[in-house]
Amino acid sequence: METMSEPINPVSAAAPAPALKPAAPAAAMTRGDFLWAGWSMLAAFFAASAAAGARFLFPNVIYEPSQKFNAGPAAGYDLGVSTKWLNEQRVWIVRTPSGFYALWARCTHLGCTPNWWGDQNRFKCPCHGSNYTMEGDVIAGPAPKPLWRAKVDLAPTGDLIVDKSQLECIPGKRELPPYFVAHAA
Amino acid sequence: MPALDLDKIKKDVVDSQIWRSVFRGGLWKDTPRDRAAHIIGNVWLHLHPVKVRPRALRWSYSWGMGGLSFALYLLLTLTGVALMFYYRPTIGLAYRDIKDLEFAVTLGQFLRNMHRWAAQAMVVAVIAHMVRVFLTGAYKKPREFNWGVGVLLLTLTLFLSFTGYLLPWDQLAIWAVTVGTNMAGATPFLGNEGPFGGLLGMRINNDVRFTLLGGTMVGENTLLRFYVLHCVAVPLLVGILLILHFWRVRKDSFSAAPCQAGEEKVDVWPHLVKREYVAAAACTIVMLFWSILQNAPLEVIANPNVTTNPSKAPWYFVGLQELLVYFDPWIAGVLMPGLIIMGLMAIPYIDTNPKGIGFYAWKERPFANAQFILGVIMWFVLIAIGYYFRGPNYAWYWPWESWFDIKPAPPPTWSVFGPKPDAILPLLLGVPVVGAAFAAAMLLPKLIQRELGGKMLMGGFLGLVAAGAAAGMLAHKIAAAQGAFLLFFLGLSFYFGFVLPQRHIRALDWPRYLVTMFLVVSTISVPLKMCARLTFNIKYLLTIPSISMNI
Amino acid sequence: MGYRKLFYASNALLLAGFAWAFLKDHNAEWKPYQSNFNRMTAGELDKRAAAEPDPQKAAALRVQAADWRRRPLEIKQIIVGGLDRYDRCITCHAGMDEYSNPTLKTPFAENPYKGHPKIDEALAKAHPFTKFGCTVCHQGQGLATTAEAAHGWVKHWERPMLKGTHIQASCVKCHGDFETLRGAEAAALGKKVFERQGCQGCHAINGVGGAVSVDLGDIADKPLERIAGYNFKRVRIDGKELPEESWNIQNWILGHLTNDPAEVTPNDPMARYNAEPIAPSAMPDFRQEISRREADAVTAYLSGLTKEELIPSRWYVPGPRPREPRFADAAAHGRYVFRKYGCQGCHGLDAKVGRRRFNALGPGQNKLADGATEEALMAEMEKGLEPTLPDVVGTYTHEELVKKIENGVPLAAMDLFHPKGPVPAMYMPPWKDKISKAELDDLSTWLLSIAKKDDSGF
Repeated sequence: METMSEPINPVSAAAPAPALKPAAPAAAMTRGDFLWAGWSMLAAFFAASAAAGARFLFPNVIYEPSQKFNAGPAAGYDLGVSTKWLNEQRVWIVRTPSGFYALWARCTHLGCTPNWWGDQNRFKCPCHGSNYTMEGDVIAGPAPKPLWRAKVDLAPTGDLIVDKSQLECIPGKRELPPYFVAHAA
Repeated sequence: MPALDLDKIKKDVVDSQIWRSVFRGGLWKDTPRDRAAHIIGNVWLHLHPVKVRPRALRWSYSWGMGGLSFALYLLLTLTGVALMFYYRPTIGLAYRDIKDLEFAVTLGQFLRNMHRWAAQAMVVAVIAHMVRVFLTGAYKKPREFNWGVGVLLLTLTLFLSFTGYLLPWDQLAIWAVTVGTNMAGATPFLGNEGPFGGLLGMRINNDVRFTLLGGTMVGENTLLRFYVLHCVAVPLLVGILLILHFWRVRKDSFSAAPCQAGEEKVDVWPHLVKREYVAAAACTIVMLFWSILQNAPLEVIANPNVTTNPSKAPWYFVGLQELLVYFDPWIAGVLMPGLIIMGLMAIPYIDTNPKGIGFYAWKERPFANAQFILGVIMWFVLIAIGYYFRGPNYAWYWPWESWFDIKPAPPPTWSVFGPKPDAILPLLLGVPVVGAAFAAAMLLPKLIQRELGGKMLMGGFLGLVAAGAAAGMLAHKIAAAQGAFLLFFLGLSFYFGFVLPQRHIRALDWPRYLVTMFLVVSTISVPLKMCARLTFNIKYLLTIPSISMNI
Repeated sequence: MGYRKLFYASNALLLAGFAWAFLKDHNAEWKPYQSNFNRMTAGELDKRAAAEPDPQKAAALRVQAADWRRRPLEIKQIIVGGLDRYDRCITCHAGMDEYSNPTLKTPFAENPYKGHPKIDEALAKAHPFTKFGCTVCHQGQGLATTAEAAHGWVKHWERPMLKGTHIQASCVKCHGDFETLRGAEAAALGKKVFERQGCQGCHAINGVGGAVSVDLGDIADKPLERIAGYNFKRVRIDGKELPEESWNIQNWILGHLTNDPAEVTPNDPMARYNAEPIAPSAMPDFRQEISRREADAVTAYLSGLTKEELIPSRWYVPGPRPREPRFADAAAHGRYVFRKYGCQGCHGLDAKVGRRRFNALGPGQNKLADGATEEALMAEMEKGLEPTLPDVVGTYTHEELVKKIENGVPLAAMDLFHPKGPVPAMYMPPWKDKISKAELDDLSTWLLSIAKKDDSGF
């Protein structure tokens, strides 16, 4: 930066490429740059305000029940579908000989709550007649997807912890942890 | 790679159909015609004229306070709308929502601070704007009506601030609003505690206060009402009046100063616009940093059974609260604010002095300026007393005294004219005496049609008072401080109530003279009454309990 | 061109100010706590993975560790529906978040990272945190996300965290049978001490007890505004003046037992600030009879006496109906009645010696003339004692004594030692509607049995 000490043409050092634009008067360039900086700071201020405004609209706390809940001791469930948490959490706990999974009781068609018909071994949706097996697979009606399974964990205390914020319905994936807890009957 | 021709791109963009449909005028050429086109072609800017006299641009002339008031109004609208997203006006939720803003919402505390502080700054800005307009005589013909609109806007600004004060639903809020709205209950005829209220069948559950609160106490309905007033009704009204105000300012030309020969106007763009921008930006910056550094107060959740000690109104109403110490609620809370508003609106119609328009005319308008400044100073002195000199139990505490020191109970008060046993002189004597004194104060300055020597008069009067006070002191009837108080307050009243009017407005026509003198005498009787209470413990000069007439 | 520079400067300041505001908001106090917890937990899992011989298990632990490191920082809260509480304590005390850490145990020892200490299995089972939250027991400001505000050590938050054994106040709030509960021993002791000292003789609880002083049934709800600030300046706890953020109802109660109440509330016996002289607090100085530990216990008990509307009846566990013990003879029962109604609050334990009172003329006191000096007045006041019953009841018959207790001694009937002495003097309230006739008879029998015999041949 020896040009810094050069008193003859100090502005040309500030201009990015003086050789390419010899016609541009140096003083006007810096003023233009300066003006540009002034406006861009204003633009940045507005952009920042808008971004903060958008962030402001995302609440940091919500007054909804937690998506996670403790479904009680695993030992307390019999084989088959349990409707114990249907009213409170909209979830069926299903126990198979090898372990547990939790079905979210929301029809994948348009969001109604299906009913469990134990005698027929299927879930039936009252809205448009979708039928599901105990695994959650569609066997009748318009539903496009199997029922969602929620994340389920076995806590060291022996309690089942269900987390409805993590869901899976693809066969092959849904049978693996964390959507399934191995627990020999 | 071909060089990027920025100028060509710019021209193409500006000449495109989309751009031209939104912004008129095309590429910026900075010609006088272009500047005018920008002002005319833009809905926001065309509230300005195209050209303006350079004198109107001077900061020392305009103080920029009108523009700043509007800038703050916009800032308040923005922050206020943001706050509405997280605030629910019910007793169970309001306080918790404010806590949420403080603790859990991104920038919530900052926005609340900004809204709070900008509201207070706006009150200051609007008052300063009014003082400036008065001092430069800018309310005179043809601007009388716009001055009236301005007075209404000032009132609405205070009302906006007041309604917003309740929304956090903490102790500060509920008690300030309880005291404030109880004054409405003292309205003559329409309030259950006001004079003649009983005559019209006013009860606690059907009077004007009940209507305002939506209940007999500050409660759920009040919160909802104040919320609606604060967020919708009053801002709408203010907006309508603002349009009127701006339009009038524009039509009556930006400066009241008369055109001087050879004075050349300058373009509003950029000369006025850049000043407005810088002022608004500076004001926003101050608000920004203030809001970062100082949190808005939030006390314990509202409890209608427990009053904080001391309980004070928002600072701009503390002056009124202080007046309530000396006067009955219907006088201090209804009559006086009413008189202030009506009196301010009447000023352009009673001030016939054609001189002193458009500049600070100390010499040309001594009477108007002196009386107005007296009023403004009194207002702020009252605020200062209420804010800095009042402690627990609203007792007088000097700023350096600890509020934990207990103050002796105030001495018992007495009245001059009125029924026994509080008063020492009979009512029948009081009515004519007080009436005659008031009439004399109103009429004497005009009845003496020859100008008396002001200095001689003042000296003589002060001498008389001093002699009287000295005699009182010698007889051990009054203390030295009381004598000094008397000298100051009586001298002040004599100067503003007699010397000044006698010198300046004795030639005014009778109707205007009477209105002016009524306002002047009312104004100076306030410090006189305060003097009577603070130095001699006089509760009332005249009390007629049967019609709640206590002064 | 000044305005051009102002334009640049103001834009730069706008941007800078806004950035500052945003950063200040962004760098919230709770964030480092939570991120530290996540990082430390991940570190522990990595350590366990390194020590794990089974490679499959080690890999699973590492996955868990990575998961902890990736966790987004968020304000976590427990919504306690029935009690209208929203507790964000677990935002910083992440180890006590039952959702993500059901065992409530962490390997860390220091706050806020440690797990819930000394957790009683039965207690935790009965009060699952996800259902009860934190502030129901601990108090403090659940909504707050800064340490000072959350613990309630700030102005304008009147329910700060309960310290030490004072937390047992929260058992008293809901459990009418708290005396039988494990873990509420201090509160139970507090109630025992309260009754032993006869506090109920003057302080009724929900209308049960004497009417001389305030009913303590909702003492925990007393707003700070009702306790004049200057009084707190006189409260000493362990010999120390209280900082303003410790001005709360717990210290107000404790202050009455660790100070002479007459010094805490001296009022205005010399009429310096009032037209009439006002006696100091007549509450006896219990420091000789109540230890510091017992004072804390009483505080824990009384701090649980609340009428908090937030506690709906379904959370409330009623206590057992009180049982009256049986006694061999009338005198023994009378002694029990004396204690039951708190007579010892004024007349001393087992009626041995009367406690202090102001301005009622008693034995050893002189009636003063109108112009008496301040010193004389104070000295006379200091001497005032409630009657020592064995000395005085001997002059009554059984019926007279019963009548006397039934009607009490109204203020108007009392002999004041000075017309300008402080008011109110301590007086005896009528017990007619509170003590049953049978109890009164036995009380009188016992009192007469301990009366000093007059040898003068009466």
